Amino acid sequence: MDAIYAEKLTKKYGDNEVLKEVNLRIEEGEFYALMGPNGSGKTTLASIMASVRSPTSGKIEIYGRKPEKAKELIGYVPQENFSSPILTGKENLMYFAGLLGYSRNKAERIVNELLNKIGLSEDANKRVSVYSGGMRKRLEVATALFPGMKILILDEPTTGLDPSARRKFLGLIEELRGEKTTILLITHIGADAELASRVGLIDKGEIIAEDEPERLKKASGLSNVINIETTIKSEKVANVLNNFSVKQKVLETDVGYRVYCKDVGKVTPKIVRSLDAIGCKATKIETEKPSLEDVFFKLTEKMVREVS
Amino acid sequence: MGQITATLDKTIKEFLRQKTILFWTIAWPILWVLIGSFSYVGNASEEVIPYIRGSITISMMAFALMTAGMANLPGNIAEDRERGLLSKLMSMPIKPWRDFVGRILALLAFSSLAAILVALVGYICGARFSYTMIGGWQSIGFLLLISFASAGIGMLIGTFIKHVHGAIMTGVGMAVITAAVSGVMAPYSTLPSLLQHFARIYPISSANSSITYLLVGEDYAGYDPLSASQTTLTIVISLLLFVAGLITYSRFCWRKE
Repeated sequence: MDAIYAEKLTKKYGDNEVLKEVNLRIEEGEFYALMGPNGSGKTTLASIMASVRSPTSGKIEIYGRKPEKAKELIGYVPQENFSSPILTGKENLMYFAGLLGYSRNKAERIVNELLNKIGLSEDANKRVSVYSGGMRKRLEVATALFPGMKILILDEPTTGLDPSARRKFLGLIEELRGEKTTILLITHIGADAELASRVGLIDKGEIIAEDEPERLKKASGLSNVINIETTIKSEKVANVLNNFSVKQKVLETDVGYRVYCKDVGKVTPKIVRSLDAIGCKATKIETEKPSLEDVFFKLTEKMVREVS
Repeated sequence: MGQITATLDKTIKEFLRQKTILFWTIAWPILWVLIGSFSYVGNASEEVIPYIRGSITISMMAFALMTAGMANLPGNIAEDRERGLLSKLMSMPIKPWRDFVGRILALLAFSSLAAILVALVGYICGARFSYTMIGGWQSIGFLLLISFASAGIGMLIGTFIKHVHGAIMTGVGMAVITAAVSGVMAPYSTLPSLLQHFARIYPISSANSSITYLLVGEDYAGYDPLSASQTTLTIVISLLLFVAGLITYSRFCWRKE
């Protein structure tokens, strides 16, 4: 059964078409990741599913119903930290339990279960203002896990989390996956999207590719990627590396560049020599398998996320 | 536990735990009661001083209700919107009017607490009132009108001013300025004629004068705010502001893009 079904879904703000006839089908219990850069329309799509926004045209159904008629099935976690920092973790969850109409006793029981599930039982009575980013995000996910909520929509949940908090958070999502919850993860981080059973790549309001992560990588035709960490990142360095890359374009990362090529063995020494020639030291060069961010780059020649 | 109770509980906790709110709504009016009770009595006779203090206390109770409605409420709305809570709420099977009722009940509860504390400090400082049972109930009614009018203005501010600090500062500014020019903070008799007209139209000021008239006496009110036409005007404009705020809030804050 389709948990989420969208057909020719379009959203316009004036002349700006944010979503262009998007077709999407997510089955019950599926973990689907929608990956794209900022401004690609992924948050708009998620907020239409959560009935926070209305589409301009097209069809959207949640378990065969319009989103506003299926609100009790949706657990939406917006990008922002919406929990109240001056309330405790438990008080925040009790507020949401109250909104959902649970009696105080039942709310208390469910909230304690949720706190246990997200690993916050010990910190339940601390104010959210003292929580770390990861703890706060887990608390907010708990607001989408009340009984009866079948679809979890997470909008960029790991943005801003440190690696350890991110790992812990993704561990929680993996657990939920085992509970047959339908998960829609909105992200611009390839490694997060790789956890999903299916990934949709979205750019300029269109889903440009959709498949299982490994099949997407295979279909991209990318075989090897040379990951280079450099001391200098400049246009000059990028231009030198472009000569070695497919389509003469390299992907800039936080610490250097990624070069796409067919024969890694031959190309790597040439890259080292060329970088030396312009006075740029490569602190690390390694061959990697392509990531979903590489696939996105190959398809759009755009980076899925901003580099620092 | 229903949606109204949940919202009431959350909002009142947020009000009580924010130092800025506690300062502007409780500490600031109390401070003025203390200053006013000992500095602004001038050369008045011993019999009159308790009533001057009573009048100051009533004004500061009104001011506490004004800041609660005009600054705390819009600050709370703007904060919930800014941190994405309103988006989250829109995705849930809940009714906007229940959210609104919860917020207003929290505001009334918090305002009552502030008004009681200000009255208590005024009383300790020597404020005295002369009232009948009916006058007492009527005064509570006028205090409610102040709260409703302030809440209406607060909801307008909270709807249109998107950022928390902007909403709070606008609310505080509006409360201070309107209180100063409408005779809440200064005696009605000292206002220029144009502002005296404003004081009669501005329901918070006329309600404040009505309470002063009922609890302290005609001389301290400066005019008869309890005439049928003036009372009708006070009630109608208070409720109009409240309804305008309510409609604006439910239309714009809960509107799907």
